[in-house]
Order: sequence, then C-alpha cells, then structure tokens
Amino acid sequence: MVQSTSAKKSLQTTLEVPVLRRKYYAQTLDDSQKGKKVAWCSNNIPSEILDAMDVTGVFLENYATVIASKRLGSGFCAAGEKVGFSQDVCGYARMLMGYVLAKNDAPEAPYGGLAKPDFLLVSANSCDSRLGWFSAMSSVLNTPLYVYDSPSQPDGASNSLVVAEHIETELRNLISFLEKQTGNKFNPDKVRRRMDISRQTSEIMYEISQLRKAVPSPMGSADMFTAVWPSMYLSGTKECEDFYKRLRAEMEERIARKIGIVPEERFRIMWSGIPFWYDMQLINYVENFGGVVALESFYRVRERRIPSQHDDPIKDMALTAVRQHGYPSGISGSIEDLLEAVEEYKINGVILSYNPSCRMLLISQTELQKALEDRGIPTLGLECDMADERTYSEGQVKTRMDAFVERLLAKNS
Amino acid sequence: MLTAGIDVGSSTSKAVILQDNKILSYSIIPTSAESADSAQRAFDKALDKTQFISPDDIHWIIATGYGRVVVTFAKETVTELSCHVKGANWLFPSVRTVLDMGGQDCKAIKCDGQGRLLNFTMNDKCAAGTGRFFELIAKVMDLPLSDIGELSLETDDEVRMSSTCAVFGKSEVASLMRQGRNKSDILGGVHTAVSDRIVTLLRRVGITPDLAITGGIARNIGIVKRVEKRVGCRALIPEEPQIIGALGAALFARDRASRN
Repeated sequence: MVQSTSAKKSLQTTLEVPVLRRKYYAQTLDDSQKGKKVAWCSNNIPSEILDAMDVTGVFLENYATVIASKRLGSGFCAAGEKVGFSQDVCGYARMLMGYVLAKNDAPEAPYGGLAKPDFLLVSANSCDSRLGWFSAMSSVLNTPLYVYDSPSQPDGASNSLVVAEHIETELRNLISFLEKQTGNKFNPDKVRRRMDISRQTSEIMYEISQLRKAVPSPMGSADMFTAVWPSMYLSGTKECEDFYKRLRAEMEERIARKIGIVPEERFRIMWSGIPFWYDMQLINYVENFGGVVALESFYRVRERRIPSQHDDPIKDMALTAVRQHGYPSGISGSIEDLLEAVEEYKINGVILSYNPSCRMLLISQTELQKALEDRGIPTLGLECDMADERTYSEGQVKTRMDAFVERLLAKNS
Repeated sequence: MLTAGIDVGSSTSKAVILQDNKILSYSIIPTSAESADSAQRAFDKALDKTQFISPDDIHWIIATGYGRVVVTFAKETVTELSCHVKGANWLFPSVRTVLDMGGQDCKAIKCDGQGRLLNFTMNDKCAAGTGRFFELIAKVMDLPLSDIGELSLETDDEVRMSSTCAVFGKSEVASLMRQGRNKSDILGGVHTAVSDRIVTLLRRVGITPDLAITGGIARNIGIVKRVEKRVGCRALIPEEPQIIGALGAALFARDRASRN
C-alpha cells in the first residue's frame, strides 16, 4: 500500500502552489454561482481567450491529477468502469466519466467538486483519447462542445506557416463559438494584455529552465511537478508572473549558496513522461542514495518566446501555439530533444513512465528508451497508470528503482 | 573470511555461506508467511550444515530478494537483479546475460565481465512464466512438478494455447484434459507459450552470449530447450540454480567486508 502522496519539496516558493490551486477551484465555484459561464476544458485551451470572453475555465486533466494525488483515483476509476469504461481507457477520462455519471459510487470529490459546465472545449493536440472523452461528456451532459484543432507537427514542420494559419482560423472559430455561447463580445485588448504578461512569464520560465542546469540541482522535479501549475492554469495573470519571479529568485539564491536537493549530489536523473500522481514521493526516492531527479521531460522551456509580431493578438497566439504544440516534434524530434537535455543538464540516467492507458506516450516511450540505451545512457521503464493506483505495486517499483541505482553506481564506480 | 548471502524469494528462502572464494554450505527452504522467520531459518540451516560456524563468525551478511528489507540480521541489502548476475558471472565468467525465472517473477539481466549489472527488464505483472504458473499447471494435470518439463518434450502435436494468462491458462488446460488431449501435447503448448513470452523479455534487454538460466525454472528442461532453440545458443545452467541470488549476495558481502 502506498503510504504517502506528496513529494517532499525543497523550495519554499513551491509550497505556495497548493494554496493558489485551492483558491482557483474555490473561485470557479464562486464564478458559477454568480452566473458566469463555465467551460470544462482540456489542456492547451488558451486561458487568455477564456479570460477575454469572461469565461471561467475548469481544466479537467488538472482536476484528474488533484483526485489522483489525493489517492482517490482508483475510486473514481472504478466508478468510471462501473458505467462501462474499460480499464484500457485513459485514467483521467475514466475518473472524470465516473465523476459525471456515477457520482454516488465515487469518493467525495476534492475541493467541493467542479462548477457545472455550460459548454466544453477540447484541444485535439497531443491526445486522441480526449476527443472521445469530451464527446461522451458532451452527449451525457447535453452540453455544447467545441473541438479546437491545433495539430501536433510531424518532424521538421514545427514552424509551418500553413499550420499557423490553420490554428489562427481555429482560434477565431473558438472565439465565435464563445461569443455565441456567452453573448459577450471578444475584446482583443484584453487578450493582448494577458499575452504580454504570458510572454514575460515565459521569459522567466526560460531562465528557470536554464538555472536548472546548475550542479548541485537548485530545483528538482519533486518541486517542478508542482511549481509548473500556475503556468498552465493561471497563464497571463500577474499572480502567475509574480510566482515565477519569486521562484527564480529563490533558485538564484540556492545556486549562489550552492544549496542542492541532497547534501552531496552523486547522480542526476531525468523523469520522462507522466509521474504516478498517487505516489509522488517516488520522485524523492533516489535522494536516499545521493541522487536527484533534476529534470522532467515536459516542463523544460526550450527557447525564448518569439516577440509580438502583429497588431492582431490572435495571429501572435497562433504563431506561439504552433511552436509550443509542435515542439519537440515527432519521435525523432523527441529523441533529439531528450539527448540534448541529457547532455545540457548532466543527466546520468532516465526513468521513463509507461502508462498503458496513455496511448500517445506509450508508443514513443519505447523508442526513446531504445535511443537512450543505444547511446549508453542507463534507463528504467516503470509501467503503471498515472492515476489508478491499483496498477501500482510499491515493492516491485522500488526493487526496480534500487536496481537502477545499483546500475548507475556500478557504471560510475 | 566468512560471509553470507540471504535471498528471501516468494516461494523459497535461500542462504549461502562463503569462505573467501569457496561455497561452504547453502540451504533452500520454503518461504512462510513470515519472511523474516524464513530468512532466519534458512541462515540457521546453512550454518548447521557447516557444523562449526556460528553466526558471530560471519563477517558480513547481505540480504536480497523481495523480502530483503525484513532481514534484520543483514548488514545491508542489494537487489536480486545485481545478485543474480554477480552469482552467475562468478560461476560462469563468460556469462553476459542471465535469465532468472523464479516463483513470482521473471527477469532478463545483462552484465559486464565483472558481473556488474548493465541493464535489466522484468515481468512481475503477470504470473505466466513464473514458478507459480507451472505449479498450477502441474496440479491441474495431477503430475509432479519435476516431470512436466520432460513430458512437454515428448510431443509432435502440441496444442496451441490461446491464453498465457495463468488463470485462463489453467482453465484452458483443464478444458483440454476433459477433451482427452494427450498430456505431452498440452504441456508442449504450455511450455511453448511461456517460452515465447520469456524470449520476448530477453530480446527487450538484448541477448549477449553466454546466457545462463537461474531460478527454480532452470530445472525445467522443457523451458530450457525451447528458450535455447529460440535464442540460438546453449544456456549455462548452474548445478543448483536456486541459490544464485544468495550466492551473489554472499559475494557482495565478501567484497564489502574486504573493503571495510
């Protein structure tokens, strides 16, 4: 049985996130009560546009991680399975379908549950399961759905202007959909203001990514898996920008004083893929051996955001999206990106999570692992669902972790 | 210098007493519900066999296996993955790949010339291909476990198993028995299905000769022959394949003791 969930954090700033998150969910419930329109969203729906349209966004994948991190994932998954969703379906989707269709069979929902949606918004980027999941919810909740098509790019096409034009059209269609649903008029100035803040925040996050190259590690993944939250769900707000300014300052201080995650850093690990939200202390496990999970595959800001190029903020947003959504692109792009990170961040080994219910990641992880091993970089594959702890055996996982550490130390001896 | 390795597995607990570079004694006992007790009894039994060594004479003890953390009399723990390659490589210095098939899981492990762990992959999600699976099959067919490997080779018309899941596999075997199918044909199908899975596991980690097979299933000639045929090389089988993890632990203990 898993005894604990939250990873042990090393930075004081990270400890602010649970407070921000709780406040955010309370705000969504309050907005709903006051009659503000609520959209249930997938990741990649631009919150700058929601804000400009005076829409409250509730991001379901994030709520799924909240459920899982409170070790309620299996209960919600079981509720989803009870209404007919197979164990092979995405853990997040199963949990939320359980929440929607079998509330009485599910545990008590965190943060008092979700604000009732007026409509649904799903991005077609990265994940195909989302489309089926949101379509099913649209049907059972009898709620309108908009599919925002922002395609992932094949290798070498991440800067395609054709794709940018397509995304621009999609964003304008999204705005039309929201105007129709809310009766509100789109306010480009409001989007522009938020995008300016997003751009400044992105600059800080780029610097944070650069700071993480330092040895000893000033901030590991145990902090970053939490610290990334404001950038995903409070994007374009002053609150978000200020949070990352404080985080950067704390990291700079740690670097100046040579404060690492462990007293004597012996090796550095990278985590590739989604973590197991119900046992985040696994991220800390290597610290027992003088190691640190110094980087994760998702949250490295690889390049500075391009400056504003147009008076029309939607054109800028499309150009930004095409870079963000298309990078790293394809399997070979992901391999290149991973190898670059291993070198730049002085990574000694990579842990790859294999989540059988996440088809998109499952396929690429095999290729990534093979590419790393071919180059002599030790890897460890851990096969567990990201949300459903019934797939997790702590003893078996830790035996693998122990053996992986033995392998790393034998290599360095 | 005397050292000891204790391997607490899911089915059996093993102890090896090593004097410098020589195995003085070993024991294999069934693991009971109390793993700590099993470890102690395995250790006591190995000591008894020497007739002259007491626990205080042992310089260093290392525990391994899934129950390694409960062995309170051990100085430290090392995973069974490192111990199996350490032990196999000591017995057969040419070994670079080890297939360990135990009661609860199946592991493919690679090592270097010094027996150091290079890479590994494990199947511990599924009981098919483990000792437990073969115990189930032997039971449902009312045969001694020690006979099924040999019998599985006495077929020229083996059945094609549709399931390698231990539970469904057992049901399928029972159904084939009711249909009156020849026991060797059934066992041939079972062993082929399991061998295919094992070889897939081996290929994931990569097979570098020489290959050694350890764990209780190394005694199953039906599996050994089929694995050898599929990978295209002979497998080295220790005289006592079940003690290789404990042997590796005792060797680690020897290395640690000489450094301290």
